[in-house]
Amino acid sequence: MTLEKLLSYDWGIMAPEFTILIVATLLSLMDLFMPNKTSRKPLALLGIAGVIIAIVFSVLQIGTEPTSILFDTYRFDAFALAFKLLFLVATGLILLLAIDYEGEREWEFRGEFFYLLLTALLGAMMMASSADLITLFVGLELLSISSYILAGIRKNNLHSNEAAFKYVVNGGIATAITLFGMSYIYGLTGSTNLYEISEALTNPAVEQNAFLLVMAFVMLLVGLAFKIAAAPFHMWAPDVYQGSATPVTAFLSVVSKSAGFALILKMFLITFLSVQGWHNAIILELQPYIAVIAGVTMVVGNVVALRQRNIKRMFAYSSIAHAGYVLVPFVSLSLLVFKMTWFYLLAYLLMNIGAFAVIQFVTEKERSEDFTAFSGLYKRAPWVAVMMAVFILSLAGLPFTAGFIGKFGIFMSSLGTGHYVLASVMIATTVISYVYYFNILVQIFFRKGEVDRLLPSIGLLIVMIICGAGTIFFGIYPGAAYDFFQEFDMNELFIK
Amino acid sequence: MNGELILFFVLALVAIGSGILMLNLTKVVHMVIALVFTFLSIAGLYVMLSAEFVAFVQVLIYSGAITIIMLFGIMLTRHDDKTETKIGVPRMILVLTGIVAFFVVMFFQINDLSFGEQAADLHVDNTEKIGIALYSKYVIPFELTSVLLLVALVGAIILAKRDDEDKGAEDNE
Repeated sequence: MTLEKLLSYDWGIMAPEFTILIVATLLSLMDLFMPNKTSRKPLALLGIAGVIIAIVFSVLQIGTEPTSILFDTYRFDAFALAFKLLFLVATGLILLLAIDYEGEREWEFRGEFFYLLLTALLGAMMMASSADLITLFVGLELLSISSYILAGIRKNNLHSNEAAFKYVVNGGIATAITLFGMSYIYGLTGSTNLYEISEALTNPAVEQNAFLLVMAFVMLLVGLAFKIAAAPFHMWAPDVYQGSATPVTAFLSVVSKSAGFALILKMFLITFLSVQGWHNAIILELQPYIAVIAGVTMVVGNVVALRQRNIKRMFAYSSIAHAGYVLVPFVSLSLLVFKMTWFYLLAYLLMNIGAFAVIQFVTEKERSEDFTAFSGLYKRAPWVAVMMAVFILSLAGLPFTAGFIGKFGIFMSSLGTGHYVLASVMIATTVISYVYYFNILVQIFFRKGEVDRLLPSIGLLIVMIICGAGTIFFGIYPGAAYDFFQEFDMNELFIK
Repeated sequence: MNGELILFFVLALVAIGSGILMLNLTKVVHMVIALVFTFLSIAGLYVMLSAEFVAFVQVLIYSGAITIIMLFGIMLTRHDDKTETKIGVPRMILVLTGIVAFFVVMFFQINDLSFGEQAADLHVDNTEKIGIALYSKYVIPFELTSVLLLVALVGAIILAKRDDEDKGAEDNE
């Protein structure tokens, strides 16, 4: 390959990734040359600026034809763009949270946090916008390794040490299983390109080995189920979420999880959709098992959350339950799978980051992560309490919130494809979830606590307002998001 | 039985045997030595598959660098550490059954594997071909890997570096 050939690719299409990479490099250099005892918080502003520039680049790319660079090792299409926008918006909001995070004594001097967040974002973006197993895997690892370090960055905190260690050991095993599954697929097809794999899998010589393909599928699913914290691979989540700094927890529960879903949808739908198993298409044959994973995830997440007193653990189980909900469209595989998943992830982004903003606000003021820290919040900070009520109602899936629309859409799509059991599990677990969600609301509005007034700082306030406004707006007028999503032609994903 | 097959069995036996030894030995230094044997015999398997480059990398990185770093880590910390098994028998049996089932299933499937014709010229210039593929076709993941390594490096420094201010604070207390 000559240099001209290399330069003939449309590298401009990678502008969002380049922006994030350049900003992350700049931040690390600035961190290096700043005096020891200077606050690193201004670095976050530069990070936010970088994320905003990347969002602008991405928005300008809407409607661009699918573009492939270097044999699909980078591939731009509507699917990639739609998910990248989610990651970028979420990371921008989390950087805002991070500015106001107090944490331990040395936190203020930790510039690494901001650029590790950006490299994790870069990994997530590559996971959405590549159609080659190697790039997808490197992206996954970039996201994972950055997250391991982020989880352990409060190194004088025992919980944080435990979180990082659990995460790295469990994550390493999950990665190994994913890679093992990928190696079988490569061995059977002789290619790492998802489209070539999907062609090769229809070859009769490969179809004889349908059983190995099923095993490869299962191993990939197991490895990636870890990433989205689906049961029974969820055990790491509560400890890691509890031990990490609150902005990191928000990042893990939103960006890391969405990236996992992007990878699952992309990998399985491109490669396995038309492949035969023993009797039927492989994806239909394995549908009952994925349905069991989704059902168990919903039940485990919601039931165990009932017993939690630590607010971050409670939200860890809540986020496990939400992973179960988002798996439902993937199980039912209606034509709306992308639309439903994307909208639910958008709603989940808004309500979960908003809720974590309030959690960060309260746990820092109270120096306690017990859920009684919320008692009397309505008297102390009425507007924050109302915001939290909005987020919680949305997480619980009550009408006039984005969470309701998302859940309703998922529910209808599962009914439409005849998955009645899954739909009823979803309803039952949603009702269970009311108990612990409303427990927090009872604390906020009806219990007596301290009486001093609390004021959130600017960054937290901005996050709460954006998330609250978004949650209510998309709850009352979901058409805005659906119309926006119509701009993305998801069929591009399947065109080589 | 030809020489190739015998060599394969010897290497495979050493690899698996040392792997089991590594899990069952109690002294941490012995574990590392067992691990070296696994790495080396896997490198031997790579040579048999005409993947000399991968074999060299395996020896350099795994048997060389990683083992040395592990030994350094052991020397700088508590080098007479012993493992204590705390796993109950029922759990052990459960795990063992799972592993054996997985092995049997995979073994019979791989035994039945049929690919049609095999590529015969894999050993021709393969290092050169890896280089060309790495720096042309796979240049994006290659560059991304460099970011990954940077992140790992920064992470190692953050987590391992001693903060002097804390040291000072402790002395004052």
